[in-house]
Amino acid sequence: MSWNVGAVVGLALLNAALVLVLAPLAEGVMRKLRALIHSRKGPPIRQPYLDLAKLLAKEDLRVTPGLFYAVMPSLTLGAVLVLATLVPMGARPPLGFAGDVVVLLYVTAASAVLMMLTAFASRSPYAFVGGSREMMLLMAVEPVMAVALVTGAVKAGSLSAGAIMEWNAANGPTLSMAVAGFALLLALQAQAGRLPFDIPEADQEIMGGTFIEQSGPRLALFRWAMWAKQLVVALLLVELFVPWPRFGLLPVDLVLALVKAMVVLLLVAVIDAVNPRLRIDQAISYYAKVAFSSLAALAFAVIGM
Amino acid sequence: MTGLLLSLVLIPAAAAVAAAWSTARAVRAIAVAASALTAAGAVWAATTVWSGPYRDLFGELPWLAGIADSLVFGVLLDPLSTTLLLVVTLIGFLTVLYSTAYLSTANRGHATPDHDQPRYYFWLLAFLASMTGVALSPNYLQLFVFWEMTTVCSYALISFYRDRDGLRAGFKALVMTGAGGMFFLVALLILFVNTGSFDFDAAARLPGPLRGWFVVLLMVASWAKAAQVPFHTWLPDAMAAPTPISAYLHAAAMVKAGVFLMARTVAAGWEVPLPVALVLGGMALLTIFVALSFYFVQDDLKRLLAYSTIAHLGYVLLGIALGGLGSSTALRGGILHILCHGFGKATLFLCAGAVAYATGSRSISALGGVARSMPLTATAFFVGTAAVTGIPPFACFWSKLMILAGALELPGAIGPTLVVVLLAESLISFSWMLYVGQKVFFGATTPVAMVHKDPPPAMSISLVVLMLGCLAAPAVGLALLWR
Amino acid sequence: MAAQSLLGWCVALLGVGAAASLIVSRRRELAGWVALVAVAIAWVPLALLVVAGFSRGVPEFDVLALPSLGARLAVAVDPLSALFLAVTAVIALAAVLYSVHYMTHYRADGVAKFYPVLLVFFAATIGVLVTQDLLFFLVFWELMTLTSFFLVIFERESPASQRAGLKYFVITHAATLCMLAAFLLLWRQSGSFHLAAAREAMGVMLVERPLTAHLVLLLLLIGFATKAGVLPMGDWLPDAHPVAPSGMSAVLSGALVKLGIYGLIRVFCGLLPAASSFGWGVVIALAGTGSLLVGALTALRQNDSKRLLAFSTIGQIGYICLALGVGVACLAEQPALAVVALAGALLHLVNHACFKSCLFMGAGAVLFRTGERDLDRLGGLWHQMPATAGSTTVGSLALAGVPPFNGFASKWLIICSCLLAGLQRPIFMVLGLVALFASLATLAYVLKVLGAVFFGAAQRRFVVDEVPVSMALPQVALAGLCVLLGVLPQLPLRLVSPAVTAAVPGGIPAAGDVLGGLLGISITVDGATVAGWAPLLVLATGIVLSALVWGLQRMGGATVREVPVWNCGEEHDSGIVRYAASSFYLPFKQAIAGIYPRLSLRAPRFPSPVRRTLEMDSWLYLPVARLMERVSHSTSRLHVGVPQVYLMWIVLGAIIVVGLVMVVAG
Repeated sequence: MSWNVGAVVGLALLNAALVLVLAPLAEGVMRKLRALIHSRKGPPIRQPYLDLAKLLAKEDLRVTPGLFYAVMPSLTLGAVLVLATLVPMGARPPLGFAGDVVVLLYVTAASAVLMMLTAFASRSPYAFVGGSREMMLLMAVEPVMAVALVTGAVKAGSLSAGAIMEWNAANGPTLSMAVAGFALLLALQAQAGRLPFDIPEADQEIMGGTFIEQSGPRLALFRWAMWAKQLVVALLLVELFVPWPRFGLLPVDLVLALVKAMVVLLLVAVIDAVNPRLRIDQAISYYAKVAFSSLAALAFAVIGM
Repeated sequence: MTGLLLSLVLIPAAAAVAAAWSTARAVRAIAVAASALTAAGAVWAATTVWSGPYRDLFGELPWLAGIADSLVFGVLLDPLSTTLLLVVTLIGFLTVLYSTAYLSTANRGHATPDHDQPRYYFWLLAFLASMTGVALSPNYLQLFVFWEMTTVCSYALISFYRDRDGLRAGFKALVMTGAGGMFFLVALLILFVNTGSFDFDAAARLPGPLRGWFVVLLMVASWAKAAQVPFHTWLPDAMAAPTPISAYLHAAAMVKAGVFLMARTVAAGWEVPLPVALVLGGMALLTIFVALSFYFVQDDLKRLLAYSTIAHLGYVLLGIALGGLGSSTALRGGILHILCHGFGKATLFLCAGAVAYATGSRSISALGGVARSMPLTATAFFVGTAAVTGIPPFACFWSKLMILAGALELPGAIGPTLVVVLLAESLISFSWMLYVGQKVFFGATTPVAMVHKDPPPAMSISLVVLMLGCLAAPAVGLALLWR
Repeated sequence: MAAQSLLGWCVALLGVGAAASLIVSRRRELAGWVALVAVAIAWVPLALLVVAGFSRGVPEFDVLALPSLGARLAVAVDPLSALFLAVTAVIALAAVLYSVHYMTHYRADGVAKFYPVLLVFFAATIGVLVTQDLLFFLVFWELMTLTSFFLVIFERESPASQRAGLKYFVITHAATLCMLAAFLLLWRQSGSFHLAAAREAMGVMLVERPLTAHLVLLLLLIGFATKAGVLPMGDWLPDAHPVAPSGMSAVLSGALVKLGIYGLIRVFCGLLPAASSFGWGVVIALAGTGSLLVGALTALRQNDSKRLLAFSTIGQIGYICLALGVGVACLAEQPALAVVALAGALLHLVNHACFKSCLFMGAGAVLFRTGERDLDRLGGLWHQMPATAGSTTVGSLALAGVPPFNGFASKWLIICSCLLAGLQRPIFMVLGLVALFASLATLAYVLKVLGAVFFGAAQRRFVVDEVPVSMALPQVALAGLCVLLGVLPQLPLRLVSPAVTAAVPGGIPAAGDVLGGLLGISITVDGATVAGWAPLLVLATGIVLSALVWGLQRMGGATVREVPVWNCGEEHDSGIVRYAASSFYLPFKQAIAGIYPRLSLRAPRFPSPVRRTLEMDSWLYLPVARLMERVSHSTSRLHVGVPQVYLMWIVLGAIIVVGLVMVVAG
């Protein structure tokens, strides 16, 4: 490892801080776009920040006593921020040597696990319904992500996300990576909890599902975690599968990555705006098809395309 | 030494006579003492002649003088006869001990009044005497004499209760084993006429084809005695006998006389004709599976055990047949199986007896949850099951292993085929025995099984000793037969 | 002390403990303490033996010889045995401690058939692990099966226990017989039952009679995989685990099924030469993958807490087999990856022993207090049974492979080995992806258990206490182990690595350089680090970031208030408005409904002609007897009592005899 400790810590903090700070911004932009598509004026772009500030100051209503329940929101957001340190942003992921793409997949799931545990701990039947749906969606989506990342691993001959990024940047676009990237894009829609896959929350039918009992600062953190997660996964997508052009200069590459991620998220917002919600079984069979189709990427990668 | 061995026959014989004239109370003591003495003597004899076979001929038949070798009576103690002797005397002693408690008015299955006791012990001790005689016989003639005596004792003991079923079954057993005895007699005559000798190895001097017929005749005799297909039908009916008798005569000892004859013949050192050995093996295999097919329709616990006995005698004969084909391991394995199966099956029968004693029922479907009140019996039954079906480290595992290993010593595909077939049989019979054991001893307690305790001490002691025997028998047998 | 006497002491102490607990078995708790003390003391020599096994290996020595068969009870302890011994010892101790109180709640069944049998079972297990002779291995193996059978059917009056026990014993006995056949075939080749001789025999057979050699391997695969619980032979497992007393369930899952893996390692790494191992590796990996997928998905459908865990064991054993298969397949061509995969298998085995035992004890604790195994009826126990709930949560997350718990470290190794091996052989990559998916299904069912048992609401409110300390302690200890081994995977890896090397006779080239890392595990293949997992670092990052976020949460200075659950404004009893366990993942469960078909087996019935033929009395003997009777009856009619008639018969007879004699004489 050619990284010294200071650089690792600094970069890790940079990644985490960037995600934390920029996630509401991205969300605000997406909301604006969504409103425009709906022919509405929409809230200002800074609205998510305002939402968070308001929620953080509100009363913290808890249905379950105990430390376990109390720390869940911060653990959830913390897990997403850990994920941010495992994802390349303009450079190799700061903790890349401590966790490869397999770790990355599991950490992605871990944040969802914490949300589901919170949902179950909140004892509301709606939260149970939401958690159950969330889990099913996760089972459908994670394989797609896995196939996409493994395709990259096959191409790069390494399980490290940084290595995949560098290989892709150096070798230019390939068919398999394109297919894999597209699959990851489809997975992003659900990872971000966006229509047509916002089934676990489904405000109109189960009133926020997973988050029904969350309010005030707790809700703020969960929202923040969701927004951060969509940004992180979008960054992962663009850095691994669309890493060009690459200048080798951290600030430039970083800004470029963020811009690309924003573009991807706008795409997500468009899909979100024009689709109705699916039922959970439809979502599962949809992602099952995507997962099997994405195996094509793997097949291409194996035969060297 | 000769004296000791002779006393093994004479002590029970004398005790039998004494038993016939004594009271019900005294007869138990006499029987236990005599059988214990015999067992102790047998163990002593076995340890003394451990180093090598002991053979002594002394008796002669005056009218045979000049025609044949004049000394026709005597004793022979080699590993083969030691094996049978140990089975006969040890299990005999335990059976007598068990009987002292089983044959009483407290028996809910078959209350036996006191005045019937002398008759019972007379025949039982007479059988013990004739069976030690079989084991110690140095030639075919003496073997035949004691062999027929066991048949008679068996008849009397099967019909002991003098009920309709018992009388019929006893008569059936007498006719079928007696008919088998006729074949033995003819073989004996052929041997004597052609060689002028009754010795086990005299058959080597028979001309080729005649030797084949000689073995075939012996084989038929042993099939009848050991209840092999096609003569297997008398044994299940013989279960009308008191349970200790079933355990002793019809599992451990008398039926073993049949396979003992074949073991003697094959072990005598001359070559058994190949087709005969194949027929013997084939019929043994057939018997095993025919007996197996009867397992699933039995409701009477003892009948099930009887069919299992038939199958296991098939194992012994299979081992002997493989020995005839040239595998000494299989032959010894077959002989070892006599010992191992004797202990295992006696345990099972005595358990069935204990259950019938306490509950009055032998019906598998009526019994259930017996283990609640009879934990010792339940333990013994499962040990017996493990021993008989060959769960290591219990008895029959070792003998079956030896038979299988012996089969694999033979060239060609016969070994692997037998391994597959026999292991399949083992599995099926094991499954069924386990199922039956669970049905009878576990589950909800049925009305029939609402009893209070394990059988009386005499029966419990027998069961405990037999359980230990199930573990120890293969160790002794392996040491004895492969020394 | 010499290894002989250490082993002797260990077995003797277990024996004494068995006898002592049998004697005092009328007093349940006392018998338990006696057994516990016996086990604890017996583990001292065992621990010394394990240490010796890891440090320098215990050289082989003979206890008993059976020259007639070329068998001798040869005993040795190498790091592989030592690893398994250590796992067994830990689980055994925890299970016995747990059982002391647990066994008091059986009213109808005495502990006389529990502790003594359990201690004999432990002794047999030790025998299995140290024996170098196939025949005696088999003897100990079946003794182990026999004793565990009695432990499974402990509840005498429950038909379910009896059925499960029967199924267990019959299936595993079939497997044992397969092994016996295989050992005999090897013996036929070599004339000895010793492991080293078998290895040589296998080498020769592969050249001379490859068909037989592969048959032997197949039989051994069936034999060991059955015990390990690999589907479809592992079908005994989901029946046997729920009905056994929970301490025994923990031992079954933690130690017993692991011995199947031990056997597979001994056979496919030790017996089979590396040159011809690829195909078998693929077979094992495929079997493992099938098992892990079906096991995990079927567990998802269960509503009985212990049955669910049993299916989960099938799934996790599938992971181990998958890794083992990959390892075996890679032995010849990519030894570095073989090291990774085998280390993954063994590490997962160690980890699985910890968390699954912990989970079974947790399910048992709930059963002990509430009398319920049905997830639909349970709920809301979090605050009433905090220790159980906490340790079960840790165990569950470890089982699901949530970082940083121990299950993740080993799953990570397994999946990495699959993916890396997949770079050369794509099939392993597909298997790795399946494993990834199954780990999500695992996550789904553990969340269901947690949600249903500890969170949520119960139909009938339970007012129960935490279980006694002697039951809580082993759970908490095992949960602690799950965390410890997860955060510091390099520690167990230090034991696993020599075991991997010992598993393959002659060792694996450059095995020492593959797995390394100061803060965790990193995989180095051909000098390049291709994957890494540093739990301490990631955990520290997570903790720091979460703490910062916690500060963020409290920044607004929000006041905390406790409120009831909001049911859309309606006042409902929480027992009615609840989400039952069977409702979880319904659409998904419907989609996988047919994944675990059930077979029913009945006693064979023979067609009636065969029956009639076999009943020889009816068509042969009785007719003959009746014929004889009729003949004699008609003969008796000749006895008319008139002397003249008799005289006539005599004369007629004389004529016939004379005639015959004349004909014969010529």
